[in-house]
Amino acid sequence: MSVTEQPRGPGIGGWLADKLFRNYIWRSIFRSGYPNTPRNQMLVVATNVFLHLHPTRIHKTHVRITHTYCLGGLTFFFFLSLTVTGVMLMFYYVPSPGQAYTDLQALETNIRFGMLMRNLHRWMAHGMVISVFLHMMRVFYTGAYKPPREFNWVVGVILLTLTLALSFTGYLLPWDQLAIWAVTVGMNMAGTAPILGEDTRLILLGGLEVGDAALIRFYTLHVIGLPLIAAIFMAVHFWRIRRDGGLARPL
Amino acid sequence: MAVAAQAVPRATAVTRPRKEREQELLVWPDLVFIEFIAAVLFTLSFLILSAVVDAPLLNRANLDITPNPSKAAWYLVSLQEMLLHMHPALGGVIAPTFALGGLAALPYIDRKTEGQGAWFATPYAIRITLFSAAFASIFLVGLVLYDQGRHVNVITNIAQRVDADWEWPGKLAPFQNVRAIQTGWEWHIPVPEAAQLGPGEHDGELNWPQDFQNVPMPFNGTSGPDWMRWGAPDFLPGWMQAMYWYDLNMNTPTFVVEQFIPVFIMVALPFLLIYILRRLGWVQDVRGGAIALFTGLMTSYFVLTIIGAAFRGAGQDLVMPWDVPKID
Repeated sequence: MSVTEQPRGPGIGGWLADKLFRNYIWRSIFRSGYPNTPRNQMLVVATNVFLHLHPTRIHKTHVRITHTYCLGGLTFFFFLSLTVTGVMLMFYYVPSPGQAYTDLQALETNIRFGMLMRNLHRWMAHGMVISVFLHMMRVFYTGAYKPPREFNWVVGVILLTLTLALSFTGYLLPWDQLAIWAVTVGMNMAGTAPILGEDTRLILLGGLEVGDAALIRFYTLHVIGLPLIAAIFMAVHFWRIRRDGGLARPL
Repeated sequence: MAVAAQAVPRATAVTRPRKEREQELLVWPDLVFIEFIAAVLFTLSFLILSAVVDAPLLNRANLDITPNPSKAAWYLVSLQEMLLHMHPALGGVIAPTFALGGLAALPYIDRKTEGQGAWFATPYAIRITLFSAAFASIFLVGLVLYDQGRHVNVITNIAQRVDADWEWPGKLAPFQNVRAIQTGWEWHIPVPEAAQLGPGEHDGELNWPQDFQNVPMPFNGTSGPDWMRWGAPDFLPGWMQAMYWYDLNMNTPTFVVEQFIPVFIMVALPFLLIYILRRLGWVQDVRGGAIALFTGLMTSYFVLTIIGAAFRGAGQDLVMPWDVPKID
């Protein structure tokens, strides 16, 4: 169990802090004390499952914005925000050709903040594709794929394709002319692949053209299949950053 | 033992000497706060964006009404653009697969540890980047303009002011666009009597394109001497039969237009880029070459995306952005 420092201020502030942060229940939840001493600041990172993505200390060049432009973190932020807004949209969306488009219209007109959630989801999805590309370029031009980080670059390339696949599967769901024809064009492209193309197309569409089978397949992939796979690869990606000693640094 | 030997340099990256501690900051608050501010800023800006700009929703999906143009999602538009200029399997699947494979293989080709952890840390890195980006943009725009063939109208219009009967000479058809090699180009080579092979009448000439449209491939089971003629390979499973070129006669003009020239360009331009940069003395190692090729790839992707998204109108015609029809 971590031993934490508990500096106590004088007066009413200190009394209030005592009541709020030093009682039995609070300390059963947050084991480190209030992070106003170096020791507690390290403990708060080390003992928190979310903050534990980070090391407790970091080289001072790495907090410079221009070193990374926060692009990897931004991509992760988009992924989380897309999960939240996506869950909101799922409450109102039925993936069937008869109902999907009507649901979208209802979302835009009848449901409070429905349009806002849909807009957020769409623009953040575009944002995520862009930030993934920019992140890849940042990693390349700072030479951060070099040993020992070779395989993490490969994981990153996999995550790039997963991001594109996530975006592509989501593109069909509004079931409007933009959706169905973009997916038709995309699937025709996949169908031209030598040997496996036609089979891939049939499996993904569940038929010869974009119809109800394709919609439910794209929906399932979009809301659970691909996010799970992406989450696994993201875990590997983040874990390996930590294991390889954080960001790349000049030798 | 090999594993242990490999683990030695890696371990040094994880354990940090004591004196480096002085160079370090605490993640809380120095990093966590930056992340928090970034998250707030992006949440706010996307909230504002979403309040102002609505996501598009067109008419209900209908496979009977094909919008013109129908485009892929913007990040796939570059591949759709490639389909206009080459065989669909090559432009839509094979070339992108090679690009992604090359991208994934990059750290195994460029293994030196120099130049990491800082922007453009190797010598000439910025010059290589700028030059490669310019090189790729100029060639791509030039190739797209050439294949669109607008210059044919311009030149014909000018020439017809001088000579009203002027037409683009058939011998120069390949300068119209790449497809004209197959559809507009004609030439004839007289064949001497002794070399006139094969059964039937011979017109005494080798004519492009018709005499090249049905060239039997070796070992296709239906051409050549008797011992090279055999039945269809029914004993193979279906997917293997699909791979075996039984009965295949090559349409050479189509092959040249859709496969040979595109592949040649996609291979030759990167080589040319590296060659020029080496002659300039800017590319001196694998990292320099990697920067050139990566920049070329990224630039190609962006340029093709912009052309495909903003400059392709009805019938995938090359038009100005304001002439691209709005579809509903």
